[in-house]
Amino acid sequence: MAGRADTAAARRRWLLLTPALLVLIFAASGPLLIVVVYSFLTPGDYGGIEWMFSTDAWFNVVASRDFFDETVTWNDAHLSIFWRSVKLSLMTTLACFIFGLPTAYFIATRPKGQRDFWMLLIIIPFWTNLLIRTFAVMEIIRNEGVVNTFLINMGVIQEPIQMLFTDFAIMVGMTYVYLPLMVLPIYASLERLDFSLVEASYDLYARRWRVLRRVILPLAKPGMIAGSILVFVPSLGAYVTPRVLGGGKNLMLGNLIELQFGQGRNWPLGAALSITLLAIVMVALLIYVRQAEREGSHG
Amino acid sequence: MIEVTNVTKTFGSGADAFTALKEVSVTIRQNEFFTLLGPSGCGKTTLLRTIAGFIDPTSGSLSLEGRDILGDPPYLRPVNTVFQNYALFPHMTVAQNVGFGLEMLDKPRSEVQATVREMLELVKMTQLADRQTSEISGGQQQRVALARALAPKPKVLLLDEPLSALDFKLRKEMQIELKRLQSETGITFVFVTHDQEEALTMSDRIAVMNEGRILQIGGPRDIYDHPAERFVADFIGDTNFVEGTIRAIDGEAAEVELPSGKTVASRRQEGGPQAGAVTIAVRPEHATLQAGEGLLSGTLSNIVYFGTDTHYHITLDDGHAFVIRRQNQPDARESYAVGDAVGVSFAPGVAQVLRD
Repeated sequence: MAGRADTAAARRRWLLLTPALLVLIFAASGPLLIVVVYSFLTPGDYGGIEWMFSTDAWFNVVASRDFFDETVTWNDAHLSIFWRSVKLSLMTTLACFIFGLPTAYFIATRPKGQRDFWMLLIIIPFWTNLLIRTFAVMEIIRNEGVVNTFLINMGVIQEPIQMLFTDFAIMVGMTYVYLPLMVLPIYASLERLDFSLVEASYDLYARRWRVLRRVILPLAKPGMIAGSILVFVPSLGAYVTPRVLGGGKNLMLGNLIELQFGQGRNWPLGAALSITLLAIVMVALLIYVRQAEREGSHG
Repeated sequence: MIEVTNVTKTFGSGADAFTALKEVSVTIRQNEFFTLLGPSGCGKTTLLRTIAGFIDPTSGSLSLEGRDILGDPPYLRPVNTVFQNYALFPHMTVAQNVGFGLEMLDKPRSEVQATVREMLELVKMTQLADRQTSEISGGQQQRVALARALAPKPKVLLLDEPLSALDFKLRKEMQIELKRLQSETGITFVFVTHDQEEALTMSDRIAVMNEGRILQIGGPRDIYDHPAERFVADFIGDTNFVEGTIRAIDGEAAEVELPSGKTVASRRQEGGPQAGAVTIAVRPEHATLQAGEGLLSGTLSNIVYFGTDTHYHITLDDGHAFVIRRQNQPDARESYAVGDAVGVSFAPGVAQVLRD
């Protein structure tokens, strides 16, 4: 009897789990498997693939063979794009942290009734289309844009500073777009913070800076880790922002992948690059979480 | 040691303004166990937090060992607090919590370690030094909070209802423990509580507070035997109130005429009422019951046996209720019955003339 009740409960559990499993299989695992398979095939002449095994795509991710004399060299174009992607993502994460932490702290220390209002201000940009937001950044930093016009009128500079279509522009754009993803988790952990702990540390002779460093920051750490991951991961795969603000010259990984599936007509290479991106993200997360845990247990 | 002079604290402004402290003045002496006692919302915690430096009073002054400390932030005052919820740092071990204050004072590492060891020994927590604070019980957290506050050797230790979260048995233990710590360390303790028994058993002196004012300051015996006001008499212990009229005064002595027409020698406070209608207070255990006539007479309306003592409820001739508490003797037969006409008496000097 107990056995029958158990099987009924088990069946119900599986029934409840099924929608999520279906989504995972068809929307995540399935496509991922297809991408892995494609990366080991030969590109078709007009895009698509031919069902012929080849490791060329993987070879081309990091290296290139000279068309005439067959000498093998590092693929500098790809490597510089990898490096730029990682570098810009790290800088974006850092910038989001620098702007996000004080913002989150500010909101968390407002009276309860006011916090929702400030959170709303942080969330409102999310309601706007990503492309529109990116064009807004463009309007601010282009040569005839708000910043340059202002500086020229003030007489600070004679010639406009070239900011648009640079790595800097991409970083500014991504920081703007992903900032809420940093603020929200940090705010969540600061809001839970028991303010009497802050009082206790003041009482025990800690000045402002030390209260922050020894009590507030360590307790907000889970939020800081979550926020950093939430910003770093999408930055690494960003597509729209580098496309618009990088002007097609300063590619990031997302653009490179898109290129292979579009004009490049090299689907296997695109697939191999996608998996490379996935691998970079996973390695980065592993290192980061491991590091954060170690610091956590030591102090 | 601590001089609080005319401190007033008003929160908010306009119609929402709430005055938590009204012209409070008190002197707390070196090495004493001083208790602020009162119901919730009486201002005792506000006064404590003012001494700690978390609250800036609206007016008045505060000095420690003759030095004005009102302008000093909490981290410059040689005063430490044991918080009601303990406020232990959850990301640190027991030992790190205890050493925090000394570390913030930039004491050398060896000194910090030595003091931490000494403090943990003092509160008997040496074995749990490396535990996380989430892994220890409420009573143990309490001890850690005490050790942490005592470690920097403050001039004054402030305790904000530290025992209220503990169960009955643990609370009794900690009362004795606190008293021991206070005498061993020689540090002045300022203790906030709403529990009259806690206040009476532990304190050298008690300040009874209500509605932002200190009503009476004195030793436990003084406060209990000689309450100055109706609120104090009512808040601490049980009391009978009897209306009377002052016929004559001589210093602390007052001749009070009772509703029965008889007069009794009572005790009055300096600055208390000098003539006219007054209320006198008599503790239930300070009055005696007798058959027939007494200072006051009435009818026995109820007898309640409590084991250690018996409560006699009497309806006086003027309709007021009066309770007498008498300690039980072994094998004594109850000699009264409900409905008996009885007399109530109390010795000269026992009744207390209240100020109000």
